[in-house]
Parts: sequence; structure tokens; C-alpha cells
Amino acid sequence: MSSNTISPETLKTEYVLPEKCVFSLNPNGFLAAEIDGKVYKRVILTRSLPLSLPDEYICISDIEKNEVGIIKTIADFSKEQQELINSELSQRYYCPIISKIESIKEKMGHFYFDVLIGDTKKSFAVKDITKSIRQHGDAIDVTDIDGNRYRITDFESIEAKSRRKLEPYLY
Amino acid sequence: MGKKEKKNKSQRNEKNKHKFPEPLLKKLEEAGLDTKNLIFCCTGDMDNDACYRNAWLSFDEKGLYVAYGTEKLVKAKHKKHVEPSYTVEEITAIPIDDVDSLETERYVSTGRLIAVKDGEQQSVVRFSVGKLGQFDNLTKAFNSFKEKGEAEIPSSAEPEEKKCKKCGKPCPDGKDFCKKCGKNSAVAIRLFNFFGGYVPHIVAIIAIMLLGSAVTVFIPQVSTRALFDDILANPNGLPAVELIKALGVLVLSIFGIKLLNTLLTVIQQYLTGGIMPKVIYDIRVKIFRAMQRLSVGFYSSKQTGSLMERVISDSNNIYWFFVDGVPSVIIDTATIIGVLALMFIMSWKLSLIVIVALPLLMTALVLGDKFFRRLHHRNWLFGARVSSMVSDNINGQRVIKAFAKENDEFDRFSKASEDLMNSEIKLSVTEATVYPIFEVFILMLSTVVLGAGGVLVAKGEMTAGTLLTYIVYLEMLRGPFDFLSWVSNWWSRCADSAQRVFEICDAEPDIVEKENAVSFENLQGDIEINELEFEYEPARPIIRKLSLKVKAGDMLGIVGKTGAGKTTIANLIARLYDAKEGSVKIDGIDVRDLKLTELRRNIGLVSQDIYLFIGTIADNIRYAKPDATMSEVIAAAKAASAHDFIMKLPDAYETRVGAGGQKLSGGERQRISIARTIIQNPKILILDEATAAMDTETERNIQHSLTKLKAGRTTLAIAHRLSTLRDSDYLAVIDGGKIIEYGTYSELLKQKGEFYKQYKIQSEALKTIGIGTGEAETEEE
Repeated sequence: MSSNTISPETLKTEYVLPEKCVFSLNPNGFLAAEIDGKVYKRVILTRSLPLSLPDEYICISDIEKNEVGIIKTIADFSKEQQELINSELSQRYYCPIISKIESIKEKMGHFYFDVLIGDTKKSFAVKDITKSIRQHGDAIDVTDIDGNRYRITDFESIEAKSRRKLEPYLY
Repeated sequence: MGKKEKKNKSQRNEKNKHKFPEPLLKKLEEAGLDTKNLIFCCTGDMDNDACYRNAWLSFDEKGLYVAYGTEKLVKAKHKKHVEPSYTVEEITAIPIDDVDSLETERYVSTGRLIAVKDGEQQSVVRFSVGKLGQFDNLTKAFNSFKEKGEAEIPSSAEPEEKKCKKCGKPCPDGKDFCKKCGKNSAVAIRLFNFFGGYVPHIVAIIAIMLLGSAVTVFIPQVSTRALFDDILANPNGLPAVELIKALGVLVLSIFGIKLLNTLLTVIQQYLTGGIMPKVIYDIRVKIFRAMQRLSVGFYSSKQTGSLMERVISDSNNIYWFFVDGVPSVIIDTATIIGVLALMFIMSWKLSLIVIVALPLLMTALVLGDKFFRRLHHRNWLFGARVSSMVSDNINGQRVIKAFAKENDEFDRFSKASEDLMNSEIKLSVTEATVYPIFEVFILMLSTVVLGAGGVLVAKGEMTAGTLLTYIVYLEMLRGPFDFLSWVSNWWSRCADSAQRVFEICDAEPDIVEKENAVSFENLQGDIEINELEFEYEPARPIIRKLSLKVKAGDMLGIVGKTGAGKTTIANLIARLYDAKEGSVKIDGIDVRDLKLTELRRNIGLVSQDIYLFIGTIADNIRYAKPDATMSEVIAAAKAASAHDFIMKLPDAYETRVGAGGQKLSGGERQRISIARTIIQNPKILILDEATAAMDTETERNIQHSLTKLKAGRTTLAIAHRLSTLRDSDYLAVIDGGKIIEYGTYSELLKQKGEFYKQYKIQSEALKTIGIGTGEAETEEE
């Protein structure tokens, strides 16, 4: 090994081991944890790669937002523990899901979306459409002018009419 | 309405500013909520499970209330606008004693309101992240009420977002109508106001255009009808001399008419060309003036490119629409009217066929244009991606080469170019398929008209010349119709540009000088910061309840990690931003009560981001004092240790710097900026990481310049390198927007807290590279 090579240890990240980490719900319904024997009344979970690997590299922080550890993959945990982790993550990363695009109209540099979120009609405006639409895998995220994010989970599976309306703005 | 009545109404509105609208209050009352003493109200859009639902939150002395229900927009009776109609389904009341304080949490697309009691958190409601600002105001009002017994209501607080009066959808700009319902005509009227000073010219231009259209419409009458009916179709045939004479007259007439038409076009273009640059000049100057008026916050929220586009590209869009588009609209509309009228006069029977076919053609053209616009837009997106990739590549050349990533970059570019190529192919193929369909339709129309016309000619109801003229007129309609089918899009683009221009002109600066702003009488330089709070984004506080004092002539060093809020403090003292809560006082006067020019003239800011304007070094040094003499400039440069290197440059003080000028090192640029501040002679000096990017020797030189500059001034020095703060009278260690340690250099070292920790780390780092200090030990002793 040449002297200027970085040793593998240097790039090694310490992960929280499932056997040393137990999640639970506190009386108010927030996620609590005991990690390496230390009890945290509330912990916050954040994804390192929320779009491409939502179940891996999950960062655990305490209420003061100080990192206490990283989970390598949720799959290493028991089913019950996975449920708790996923429930917390789904709250933090909740995005209204667009089921249908009724119309996209452009006026004065703004794009006005009329969509269905489940059965609820929702209207929002998007300013810079190319920067406000992000494709990742099969999913598409649209961010409106107030910073609210909406998601199409699988672009190919929504009805063709909706697809045609959004297609001109994708690349 | 009298003045007094108006004043009372405005006072009433001010008082009710934080309350729900009357109809909602009535519904809440009916549902059992006592709304008389509500202190603050806020509208939510989700329930506790993040399902969309109308939620109304409020509090009074007894409790915090969350009401759920529905809000429907209904058309107001006898009015064009919509009004909300409310139904309240349930109300939850949390006793005020069960909540110590409220907090908001920001997630990816939602937020959560949390009630805290004895350190225990409980979720109250979720909301869309766009409502975070409103909920933040609610927590501020509630927490201050709990703490002091009186709610501090942020000035920006509104109980609910403003909705469009026409469609009821949210209005992001706080106006009565959203942009979708806003009228383009209003923009047009505003744009035409720019032409106010040129009414006679405009009238002349329009008259010439109409005359030009009349001449154009008249041409076929001579070139076709007269040729066929009066000359060629003479049953007995004309003698050769007569025929040549008649043809000569005809040709000369056509030439004369065409010449007249050209002349009119030249005059029209001459007049338009004389006015339009002046109008565009007015627009550009107006945008630029408006931009100078706006605060730093406006520039941080917009990309430089998009602002430059507004000044240059948007005004050009407006220019070309008015130079090319508007004349064409007038000419083509007049042509269509004139041609259709003549066609009716020539044969109303044939015109009936045309009248039936034209709307179909027009609809097809409009739909076709809409379809092609989408394809063009998509093509533009791919093109934009390729352009930004090229720009990215050029700017990142050093990094690309350092990592030997040329081939990867090439592959990335090839992929993007291939996408663009495919998109262009698709567009071309579609155009090549669709346009012939239009052609066939027009050909069919001409064939039908020709056939029907032939029958009329055979019956003797029409001459052959008239029929041929009719066909020529039919062809003449095609161009104007085609143009008018897409000119609305051109106008949309122009109106869009105009709207962006007006958005800047209408933008209210965040920092506004008070009407009765005061000046310093005899500025000493005392700085007092009280309970300062600030955030760039809702629920992401940068400065939290920070208080400190700096006596006139003293030097305060501010230390802290990156993102601790050090620069923000400097920005708040210079009033580049306004504090959310608390105050900054200079000589006991709140900076918000001071005249802005007075304040800024007395504060000198030397920061890490050095900006030199295009011009000579001397121009840059005397930027703050344009009337400074050359001897003052040289003295300032000497004081800033800049004189020596300036004199080594071939053009010395006349060396051009800034974009495209002489390249200077970071240290040289910083010394010029210090000289600029020395000439300004401010009473308060803020050094914001002034030497952070410099090497040790340059730093030492600059420190020497700064020491001279600091004499007799109140100085705030922000730095990472603790050694640069050695001369400070006292130091404040900032973390998370708060002061965590305060004292003199030696006091802080003795405290062995955060400052000591940082000091040790830096000393160790210096020892590692062979620069031992041993200072800490000395101080500790």
C-alpha cells in the first residue's frame, strides 16, 4: 500500500447496531429510543438519501438535533421496530400524493395546477417549473411557490391524460 | 366616506387584523366557541394525521382552540367575485394551563404544532409547510402571552392567507386577484402608459399603418381584376399599341402603389424606431432604479441571472412585441376586415363558403399552435439543460481536470445532447406531418371556392377577373390569420415579461426608512443589542434573544462556528435586514429610527466577499466619497498597505479592475477594500472575516492596516482565527444564535469553556505545522 493511500478505517462509519437500539413510543405518541444503554425521551429520524435509498442510512438525533447515531438499513431491525421507524419517517417525509392532474395552465409566468390528492381537489401555483419539478426513479416531486411538495409516486401508472399534461415539462 | 370615518374603519381593521373573518367568527360562535376575547387566530389546512381539512386555531385567556370544518367558495350574490362559506364540524379546547408553550416543527412538506407542558410534547395539529410562517406567528403570540401576560403579535401576522376574489385560490403576492385571474388588459394599460408622452407619434403611426393596409388591399384590384377584366378579357381584343399602353399604365400603377406601400412602411418604421428605444430606456431605468431601492433580502431570494434577465431580456421582449407585434396586429386586423369586406362586395355567395370555413381554420390553427408550443417548450428545456451543462463544465474545468473526469463529463454531455437531438427530431417530424394537413385544408377551400366561382362565372354572375381577384384575396387572408392565431402567445410572453418588470417596480423593500427618521447629532459609536431575534426562513431562527453592548471606541470580537449567526449580527447592525424581535441601538437610537444613508455612511463593512466595481483602482477607493482628492486616495491606500503594490502595476492608480480588468490577488483586493473603508471614515467598523481567506503573511500585513483603521472607532471583528482577535477589548462566543461566553481574551481562556477549546484546537493545529504559540499556557499562568 502506498503511503498516501487512505486506510479503509478512515472511511468507516460507525452504525447503530439493532441489538443495542430499541425504539418505542413515548406517552404522547412520539418516537423514543434507548441506544447503547442511554435513554432518549424523543428521537428524530432523518434520511440521508430520502429519494434513492429511503430505508438506508437513517440518522438518529435527539430533541436538540444532536446526532446520536446512524442506522445502516432498517431491514436489520425486527418487524415491530421497523414499523415504529417507518411510522416516524412517514410522518416526517409525508408528501401529499397526486392521483390525477386535472389541468396545468400557464399564465404570466406561473403554472397553475389543479390536481386530485386522493379524492380532494387541490390547486397550487408553481413559479419556475423546470426547477420546481424533480424526477427520481419513477416518482416526480412538484414544489409549489410556498414550498409545499407534492408527489406522483409512479408517473407511468397514472392515467395517460394526466401524464400528457405534465410531460412537456419533464426532461 | 369622511376622513374620520375612514380612519375609524382602518383602526377597526387594524384591531381585527389577527381575527378570523366575521362569517367564520359567527359560525364558531354557533358551534359554541366564545370568540369575543380571541387574542390571535390562524388558519390551518390539515388535521393531526396530515389529511387535508380546514382548521382554525385561536387562543384567548382561557385556552387554545382548534376547530375543524369546511370552507367552500360560493359566488357572491349579484357580484362577480367569490366569497367563502363556512361549516364548523368540531372544536377542541385545550385549557391554557395545560400548555406551557407552543413550538413548530418543520418537516419535508408539512409542519407540526406542538404543545409543551412540563417538558412533555404533544402534537396539536399538522399543516402544509407553506403555512409555517402563520403558525410561527401563532407560537410567538401564544408564548409571549404566557410569558408576559400580553401577546406580542408580529407585524407580518395575518389570520389567513389572502385569496383571489375571483377564483378563491391563494394569492401568493397578497393581491386581490391571483395571476391566473389577473387581467392581461391591466398590464397592457400599464404598458401603454409608457407611451403617454408620444400620443401624436402613435396616432401618426396607426394612421400610416391603416393607410398601408388599405393600399395592400387595393393592389389585387389593379394587378388582377383590372388586368383580366379590363385588358386581357376584352372580347374584341385591343390594338397592339393600345394594349401596350394599357399594360404600361397598369404596370406603372402597380409599381406606384407598391412604391407608396414601401414608403409608408419606411415612415412607419422610422417613427416606431424613434419612439421605442426611448420607451424601453424608460422601462430599463425604472427597473434599475427599483432594484436599487430594494433590500438585500430581495437579492438573496432571487438569482442574479433572473434579475439580469428582467433588466435586459424582459425589456427586449417588450421592445420586440411593440416594434414587430403591435404593428403587425394593426395591419393584419385591418387587412382582414378590408379583404373580407371586399370579398363580400365581390361575391356574397362565395363569401358564405369562406365564412363557414374560416372559423374551422382558425380553431385548427389555435389548437395546432397550442400543441406545438408544448413541443417547443420541451425542446427548449432540453436545450437549456445542454447550455447549463456547458456552462457548468466551463466553470468547473479545474475540478474536472484535477479529478481526471473529462471522459465522464463528455459522456454526460453526449447523453444530454442526444436527448436534445431526439426532441428536435420529434418536433421536426411532427411539424412535417401536421403542417401539410393545414395546407390540404386551405387547398380544399381554394378548390371549393374556385369550383363554385367557376359556376358563377359560367352563369355570368361574376367575371373571370373578379374570381381570380377573389382567389388572390383568399390567399391574402392566410398570412394574417396565421399570425393572429399565435400573436396571443406572443402577447402572453410580452405580458409575462411586463408582469415580471412590474413585480420589481411594485416590490416593497423590506427595509424602509421611517417618515420622521432622525440623524445622529454627534455620533459616539455606542452599540446596544437587546433581545435580538432573527430568521431568514420561518421556524429556522438564526439569532435567538441575543443581547450585548459595545462602548464607543471599543473593539468587540465575535467568535463562533460557521452558521452560528456572526455575519447576521453585522447585517442587522448595518440594517441590511430588520430584526424580527428586539432591537439594535446606536447611541441609544434604534437603527430603524435612523436615516438609512446616515446609518450606512457611519458604518464601514470590510468583509471576506470583496467586490471591486468595474473602473480604476482610484475610482474604487473613492467609491464611498467620490469627491475625495488624489492625495486622500493615496493616503488611504498607504494606510491600507495597498500603495506599494498599486505602484508596481503599469497603470498604478489608473489600473482597471473588476470584470475584465487587471487580475489582483485576494490580499490585494482586500487592501483596496480597506482603503475604500478608510476613505469613508466610518465611526463604526465591522470586520467580517476580513482576513479569513488570506495567507499568514498577507494576513499580518492586513492586520497592520486594520490596526490603523480601528483607532478611534467602535469595532466589531468577526473571525474564525482567534489570534486575529487578540486586540479585542472583549469577546463574545456565539453558538446557535446565542452568546454562550463573554469576557476579555484572558478571562475566556481562564474560563476553559468553548473559547478555550477552540483556542487549544487552533494552537494544536499551528504546532502541527510547526508554528508553536504557547500563548494559552502564558495566559493561563
